[in-house]
Amino acid sequence: MKKSTLWSLICICLLIPGTLFLGTKLPGRWYYLTGTLIIIEAMLPFFFQFETRRPQARELVCIAVMAALAAVSRGAFAFIPHFKPIVAVVMITGMSFGAEAGFLTGAVSAFASNFFFGQGPFTPWQMMAYGLGGFLAGLLFHKRKRLAQKPVLHRVLLTGFGFLSVLLVVGPVLDLCSVFTMSSQLSWNMTVLCLSSGFFINVTHGISCALTLLLLGRPLMQKLERLQTKYGILEGSDETPV
Amino acid sequence: MSMKRDPFSQYHPLVCFLYFVAVILFGAVLRHPAYILAGCVAAGSYYGLLRGRSLWKLLFGLIPLFLLVTLINPLFNPRGAHVLFRLFDRPFTLEALCYGGVTAGSFTLTFLWFGCYNCVLTGDKFTSLFANRIPALSLLLVMVLRMIGEQSRKLKQILHARSGIGKGITQQSKTSEKLRHGVTALSTLADRALEGSVVTADSMRARGYGCAKRSSFYGTSLSLRDGIVLVLILSLAACVPLLGGLSADFDPEVRIAPLGWGFVAYCILLLIPIVLRIKEALLWRRLRSKI
Repeated sequence: MKKSTLWSLICICLLIPGTLFLGTKLPGRWYYLTGTLIIIEAMLPFFFQFETRRPQARELVCIAVMAALAAVSRGAFAFIPHFKPIVAVVMITGMSFGAEAGFLTGAVSAFASNFFFGQGPFTPWQMMAYGLGGFLAGLLFHKRKRLAQKPVLHRVLLTGFGFLSVLLVVGPVLDLCSVFTMSSQLSWNMTVLCLSSGFFINVTHGISCALTLLLLGRPLMQKLERLQTKYGILEGSDETPV
Repeated sequence: MSMKRDPFSQYHPLVCFLYFVAVILFGAVLRHPAYILAGCVAAGSYYGLLRGRSLWKLLFGLIPLFLLVTLINPLFNPRGAHVLFRLFDRPFTLEALCYGGVTAGSFTLTFLWFGCYNCVLTGDKFTSLFANRIPALSLLLVMVLRMIGEQSRKLKQILHARSGIGKGITQQSKTSEKLRHGVTALSTLADRALEGSVVTADSMRARGYGCAKRSSFYGTSLSLRDGIVLVLILSLAACVPLLGGLSADFDPEVRIAPLGWGFVAYCILLLIPIVLRIKEALLWRRLRSKI
């Protein structure tokens, strides 16, 4: 546990400022690389923590199942154009299993599905965006037993959260990638253009995420909760004998 | 299957991975037009060798993006000495246009290299590369890669079965109905997958998960052949920045450094997979003519 905290501190306090410093000093088009490196370095603490914890078999398989489910979820809505439920499934995982598991599910699911659709310069950004979606969902909705007992309020909050988080967090992170890959010089105008041109895509993405959370959120969370109580998976305590 | 005969793909995953890291980094960072052009030609040819006809498909997709990136950058970058015309009261300069072209070139180059990367470094190779250093995460990735295939097959079965009882997605006319049926199918899939997950985990434990180091499908160690190419790649990649001749300035005027030995090193680096391929083809031809 201590080792992973140390690594996280090294990442956040040394690597990221160091990269920023070097990125501004070196000549050439370094900013895409700088941006991508910072994204990767920001993800490292999560990966370190998972790795040093030596996860149990059940935990590992559960996260893998949810990540794969997120990656194939688009297939169930193939006949509705532009409907992307992947972030919603990641968020549900975060809500049931916690913020860290949510981040991991999002990042792994983005990375793995790109093995089928093709990796590209956008891969780290996608991992970060989906991971953040799961992380935020976990922070806000994990272990809210009293909230879950009020179905209407819970649904409303889930839907609102799904829409807003995609519009304000997940979508902009994805759009920032195109700012970094496509502009020859970083400028506020270019950033604003990229973010505003992605606005309508983000709105449709947000709506599909919100709808999926509204319809699938509570049923799937109940399934995951049952799995947790029945088999003791990912309950947050380390002493669970598996 | 031209891909299977590609000699570079048969080198150790570490060699392929480091090669792609090097060329993609150079492609993303350099802004010297000659380097970018050379990179595009090499990456395009290698992609063509790997994928055949689909090179043209990719290029057709990339050309509009290339033009867009080239033309959009001068709109936001007014710096440069030669003003071509003024648009919305902002100068549209030749230098910014050139810089936009270079950016678009490096953008295209990165995509071409990633296209090659996807053919050469498949999921199994990537995970075998990190299997010993990050065992839990690479196992997670292996499982997800396997489950994506398995679950999309199951999802198709579920959708098929549901359309048998009149609940298929295509049988619905309203979008809200389509959505509802899609959610039900996904929920069913989640049920099946989660149920399977507990069985899988117990089976893993029963077979001794976590007791010893995991082995991987590509159980190869670095051979002499891999070592030679690895050293070649690393030394060439180090030579490119050390020998210089990389600088290109677009503000206030286009100033491009003359080409030197650094460019030669870069070209040799770019040509490694293609040369290996040609060598293999020549060898094959010679062996065949002997028979």
